[in-house]
Amino acid sequence: MVGAFLYLTACSFKNRLRRRLRRLREPRYVIGLLVGLAYFYVVFFRRSARRHAPAEVPAIAAVAAPLQFLASLFLMGTAVIAWLWPAGRPPLPFTRADVQFLFTAPVTRRQLVHFMLWRSQIAILFGSAIATFFMRPGSLAGGWTLMAGLWIVLMTVRLHLIGVALRRLSLVAHGASGLTRQWLPLSVVLGGTGVILATLVRAWPALGAMTGGREVLAEVQRLAGEGAAAVVFWPFMALVRLPTAASTGAFLAALPAALALLALNYVWVLQSDAAFEEASADHAERQASRRQGPRAAVKGASATPFTLAPDGRPEAAILWKNLILVGRYVSWRTALRLLPLVVLLGVVAWANVSGGVAAFAGALALPLAAIAVLLGPQMLRNDLRQDLARLPLLKTWPMSGAALIRGQVLAPTVVVTAVAWLLLLTGVILGGGLRPGSREAMVLGTHRLPFLAAAFLLAPAIILSQVVVQNGLAVLFPGWVAIGASRARGIDAMGQRMLLLAGMLLALVVSLVPGVVAAGAVAFLAYQVTGAILILLPAIIVALVVAGECWLAIEGLGRVLDRTDPSAVEAVE
Amino acid sequence: MIDVQHLTKTYGSFKAVDDFSFRVRPGEVVGLIGPNGAGKTSTLRCLVGIQSPSAGTVTIGGHDIVKAPVEAKRLLAFMADEPQLFEYLTVMEHLRLTGRLYRVRDVESRAQQLLGELQLTGKEHALPAELSRGMKQKVAIACGLLHEPKALLFDEPLTGLDPLGIRHMKETIVARGRSGAAVIVSSHLLHMVEEICTRIVIIDHGKKVADATLDELKAHPELAAAGSSLEQIFLAATAGEP
Repeated sequence: MVGAFLYLTACSFKNRLRRRLRRLREPRYVIGLLVGLAYFYVVFFRRSARRHAPAEVPAIAAVAAPLQFLASLFLMGTAVIAWLWPAGRPPLPFTRADVQFLFTAPVTRRQLVHFMLWRSQIAILFGSAIATFFMRPGSLAGGWTLMAGLWIVLMTVRLHLIGVALRRLSLVAHGASGLTRQWLPLSVVLGGTGVILATLVRAWPALGAMTGGREVLAEVQRLAGEGAAAVVFWPFMALVRLPTAASTGAFLAALPAALALLALNYVWVLQSDAAFEEASADHAERQASRRQGPRAAVKGASATPFTLAPDGRPEAAILWKNLILVGRYVSWRTALRLLPLVVLLGVVAWANVSGGVAAFAGALALPLAAIAVLLGPQMLRNDLRQDLARLPLLKTWPMSGAALIRGQVLAPTVVVTAVAWLLLLTGVILGGGLRPGSREAMVLGTHRLPFLAAAFLLAPAIILSQVVVQNGLAVLFPGWVAIGASRARGIDAMGQRMLLLAGMLLALVVSLVPGVVAAGAVAFLAYQVTGAILILLPAIIVALVVAGECWLAIEGLGRVLDRTDPSAVEAVE
Repeated sequence: MIDVQHLTKTYGSFKAVDDFSFRVRPGEVVGLIGPNGAGKTSTLRCLVGIQSPSAGTVTIGGHDIVKAPVEAKRLLAFMADEPQLFEYLTVMEHLRLTGRLYRVRDVESRAQQLLGELQLTGKEHALPAELSRGMKQKVAIACGLLHEPKALLFDEPLTGLDPLGIRHMKETIVARGRSGAAVIVSSHLLHMVEEICTRIVIIDHGKKVADATLDELKAHPELAAAGSSLEQIFLAATAGEP
């Protein structure tokens, strides 16, 4: 059976590689590959070559202790989260073909686990090699020890996550009796967590009195190396000692413990009695259907944004449809993805303003509004970037390509504009976090309404411009843009995405130039004649010019879409 | 109603459809049959405007599908073999969307009528994920029939349907033909084509090899020897073993 699994893994790898090489026949992928390689060369290779010059870089041994501690902390966090936070995918994510061929074949559950472990080797080895390449330790010996160490760590983590997920499945399947079946791992996790919490609680007064981050880190590191906490930390430290080993001797000394942990996790996974087949088959089906649509599952048939009248322009129907899409996919999990950014901005705002919660909210709202305007159109993809996967259906609708694109760009524009307006209002009403009496506060105070009105006009224009560019790229280069939930992988695809981002930014700047020039000319003339500094009128001019450009662009793109053959919109891996 | 003249569709150097001409008059149910890769799907896709013909013309109710696509598509309905539904819209929302796109004034009553006809009553608020393959197919068909199209194109309409669904689908197709619509049914199910179609067009290697009623085909001097069933005639016409 191992031979069959090896054959399948090798063939899959070979054919995937061949497919990626074959697509290099198309110039767009060659260009993408060149850009991707150039990016890697400039960002990593040259920089790491400079970084590892002997005179500049401290020896890895000098930073080994804090590095090892932080890495073990990270591993411990990963293990704890795996128990607390259920993963969105099953422990063994088989594909639909796997399910069809392997689940129906005379293969044991243990053999299926082995197959998935075999398959994961390619990714883990590749990841270890890439990480080794980027970190580039000074000597050849350091290179192989780092790579081997990383492989053992990643493999152990992978096994542990599979084990945790299988135990969770078993707990769910067996209910209360599952608790008795899984008493040992549960006791270990609960006991370890209790020890860490008790240590932190005991040391909290001392930690709270410290002011510097380094001081806190050093103290936590000391606590982790003492008493019961040291026992809890031991497995994680034992693992991270391998890739951070400063010499071959240190590596070999750390190897037995790490291999023992690897073996322990391996045996733990094989001993699981969880029936993963059903969850894996469900996941495979969802993965297959995801290629046609958005990533997350539909939550349910919630209310529609408005009642669609039977008469009227077809664009409104597309807007209605795409707003429903947002309403049924946005979830707390989606919002949580933005949490780190909000927290970061919050910390910055907190550090720079005084004046209580209102000033803090004001200081937070304005940068968030800017982020919504600039990044929102790239994040919210409820337009052609989703629907192009259904181009054959769209082409049967009795509407022109231009009308279809007009309808498609409305929904993301409306949603992002609403968010930006809300944040702008919050920011301006609360004073933008400006210190009372400061020059900026005085200016904003005097011109608050014109500034708000100008921002209200400019925001949708800039958002619309970006959404049109994004949809235009999808129409003009359907093979370059991620359509639906699919994403091409590889360096060539990464290079394409970088080119698209650069193209998008360039198009945004170009689209703003005519309006800004016209608005600048009007503002200059007005200033020469009346001495007044106009705020609102230039904003109106910029918004109108951008809206006009978008209209023209959509007309042109519509003609291209009318001629587009659905077969040109290829499905990516 | 459907007029195809010298239709040619090429992909690179490969000619999928080669100088293909036929007409479908109101009230006719035409079976478009051919072996795999014969050019049926390419023909249908050109007819409904999904793909542009490389040469030739397609007119629907007098409107050229290339020059006046919106007017032509307003008369058309295309039911693909694989139902294409939006997984975030309910059954009723699909119908409302279609109604707005095709300017159907009495969407609600028409929708209820169709849902009853296609045994989808009670599924109005269901999302596609909650429906079986056959029910999804019925939703796609309900959307296609909502605007009472004058020209209907079915690509393997019986795929995924249960026996009762198959029976209802055949009745639906025949009823549309009787009510004056021009219908094309593309299928490999020759017994179904034989049962419901008033005329049969056989395509092979992109070229039309037969265009006649079943009785005319049976009487055809070159095909008569093959036998009296459509299957025997089809195999003979496409150079297969009878």
